Amino acid sequence: MDSIRFNFPAPVIDESVDRLRKDVRSFLQEEIRNGTFRPGTDCWCAGIDPEFSRKLGQNGWIGVTWPKQYGGRELSALHRYVITEELLVAGAPVHAHWIADRQSGPLILARGSEEMKQTILPRIAAGECFVALGLSEPESGSDLASVRTRAHRVEGGWEITGTKLWSSGAQSCQYMTVLARTGERNEKKRHEGLTQFLVPLDSPGVTVRGIRDMSGVEHFNESHFEQVFVADDAVLGAVGEGWKQITSELALERSGPERFLSTFVALEKAIQQGAASMEGHQARVIGSILARIRALRAMSLGVAALLGQGQSPDVEAALVKDLGTRLEQDIIERLREFWPIQLKQSFGDELQYLLSDSLLRQPSFTLRGGTNEVLKGIVARGMGLR
Amino acid sequence: MEQTDQLILDTAYRLFSDHCGAEVVNQAEIGEPPKTLCDAVMAAGLPLAWVPEKAGGVGGSLALGFNLIRQAASFAVPVPLVDTMIANLVLAESGLEMADTWAALVFDGGQLPVVDNGTVTGVVNNAPGVVSGSLLVVPVSDRGLVRVATFAFDNLAIEECESLAGESRARVTLEGASPVQLSPVVDGMTEDGLRQFCALARASQIAGAFEKITALTVGYVKERQQFGRPLGKFQAIQHKVADIAGESALANAAIEQAIRMLSEHPEPFSGDNVAFLPVATAKVVTSEGAATVSRLAHQSHGAMGFSFEYPLQQYSRRIWSWREEYGSEFYWSERIGMSMANDICHGRAEGGQVWDIVSR
Repeated sequence: MDSIRFNFPAPVIDESVDRLRKDVRSFLQEEIRNGTFRPGTDCWCAGIDPEFSRKLGQNGWIGVTWPKQYGGRELSALHRYVITEELLVAGAPVHAHWIADRQSGPLILARGSEEMKQTILPRIAAGECFVALGLSEPESGSDLASVRTRAHRVEGGWEITGTKLWSSGAQSCQYMTVLARTGERNEKKRHEGLTQFLVPLDSPGVTVRGIRDMSGVEHFNESHFEQVFVADDAVLGAVGEGWKQITSELALERSGPERFLSTFVALEKAIQQGAASMEGHQARVIGSILARIRALRAMSLGVAALLGQGQSPDVEAALVKDLGTRLEQDIIERLREFWPIQLKQSFGDELQYLLSDSLLRQPSFTLRGGTNEVLKGIVARGMGLR
Repeated sequence: MEQTDQLILDTAYRLFSDHCGAEVVNQAEIGEPPKTLCDAVMAAGLPLAWVPEKAGGVGGSLALGFNLIRQAASFAVPVPLVDTMIANLVLAESGLEMADTWAALVFDGGQLPVVDNGTVTGVVNNAPGVVSGSLLVVPVSDRGLVRVATFAFDNLAIEECESLAGESRARVTLEGASPVQLSPVVDGMTEDGLRQFCALARASQIAGAFEKITALTVGYVKERQQFGRPLGKFQAIQHKVADIAGESALANAAIEQAIRMLSEHPEPFSGDNVAFLPVATAKVVTSEGAATVSRLAHQSHGAMGFSFEYPLQQYSRRIWSWREEYGSEFYWSERIGMSMANDICHGRAEGGQVWDIVSR
């Protein structure tokens, strides 16, 4: 091995992508002017507003890459990328539909039954149907293969019993994708015998309880499933193939702009406020942050281009998330030098609000969707060390 | 890149593999000059990579040249290939004659010497690639506009120094010196454009060195056994390797973006606003990464990496020197910050948004 080279090809940006960016941008500026939403930090996780999601759906900005017959517009991954990054930097309240648009919709498209595709996807694209992730459990975090939620075969379907934890936004979702054990647990083959189900959250036996996080938002949930019946066609993909499906979903999940832009809205405000007196040291700090953001964006777009070419850039995607989430945290630590963070969110001006809220939310950045330690393990495996 | 570009890169790769092993690099610094390598690089025409075919060159694209520079750096090539490539391109852009020897661009990113009444005055402190017998290519300022002058090595006051990595860096003093050739004002070339172009060359070199350092570290921790297993099986080491890979990947993404932008630019030496941000980004990210990458790689290698015989040090010393040249991360990040503030204050961003500029 003479050298190890990572390639990040250029995305092809045509006129339609630029036009879409402009449309989304002017829509968001208009919404902010009208006071529809107050720009918030970490908006893809903390900002829940089903009404706003519905508006985006009406504009045709959810599920844009899906086939037209299922409510999509058959646009490219880059079109979706542009929509998501404009929403993020505007701090728009997009959490309600975020997971369904990014992850559950594509999962249903790839593995779901025809009926699911016809009935659920158009509602997701319309911004009327939201999906939560049912992965972590009280005893199962980074070691996801150890999940204890069980699904037993019963006549005409399955019966699910177990508890899912930390499911963001579940209280406003109609469905949850639940990872459950369907085969006997075998210590040597821990990744086998797991299956994903699409469970309607209004099924008898489901209870969803909100959990307040340290920033004061109730977006987490503990969801309990007590002998919940689902029909056979609630199985996503093949029985026993849940692990493989989840790991292939993750490249989509790990390399998007939400992995380095969660706190951009605070940086934007800080620079606007500091621009007139910018000099010397402050300019160096700001410039260094901006350079890293630009490089990460090139990397993230490169992963999108690789995915578009049909490749599986798992290592590259893990690197985007590891570097990006640390940067999101670092931005706030570095801005502190010029704008100390002392008061709770509701006291102080707009910038203070964004900085305080960012600080109180940032511990989750390097945890959600696979901790950075898990990500580094994936990178090490990709380089032949594991 | 074109298909012919890839052929040239493949040829160069074989050439470096055959003639630029670790021993050659070490010997070039403390013993024998790498004559075979020098001859092979010259014979393959690599220093003419950027010179148009009608001027007797290879006619390669800008992307080819920067990729060649990155590749050469991943072998720590101890000959002034990069310096000669850039000097020859500047000669071609300014319509001056090339020499079939090594050439050096007498420019360190600082102020240009001044030309007045046909003679040149000024001092360049860290001119790279100035070796005995080379053609000296000096960008000079004629009331703020760039012209290019050439000089013979023997006719100037030159104090020869070495960089941290033993690469030649010279202090060149010009006091009313008469050039051999003096171009008219070069269209589309500015002092800052030269600085940016050279900064991207150094950023590409750092990215090339990162690739090699990553490979060396992965190779070493797979082989080296302690406590009964390879170092690479320890999670602490795996995480260091992952961090090195991250900086390397980020560096590549940054330079590739800048190279793409410069390749599409009608005037790559203009130093205008379109060129500025991607190039500055590349130099900041690569220079910042140099500390992380060298620290983690050395830590993973133990004492072996600190020995002269083992190749890691040739790369860590190079990135420590390259990160300072043509503007460190501190220099370029301050410029990015100031430029952003000015754009915001003067209404040059749509909606007054930083994001509008970041996302361009």
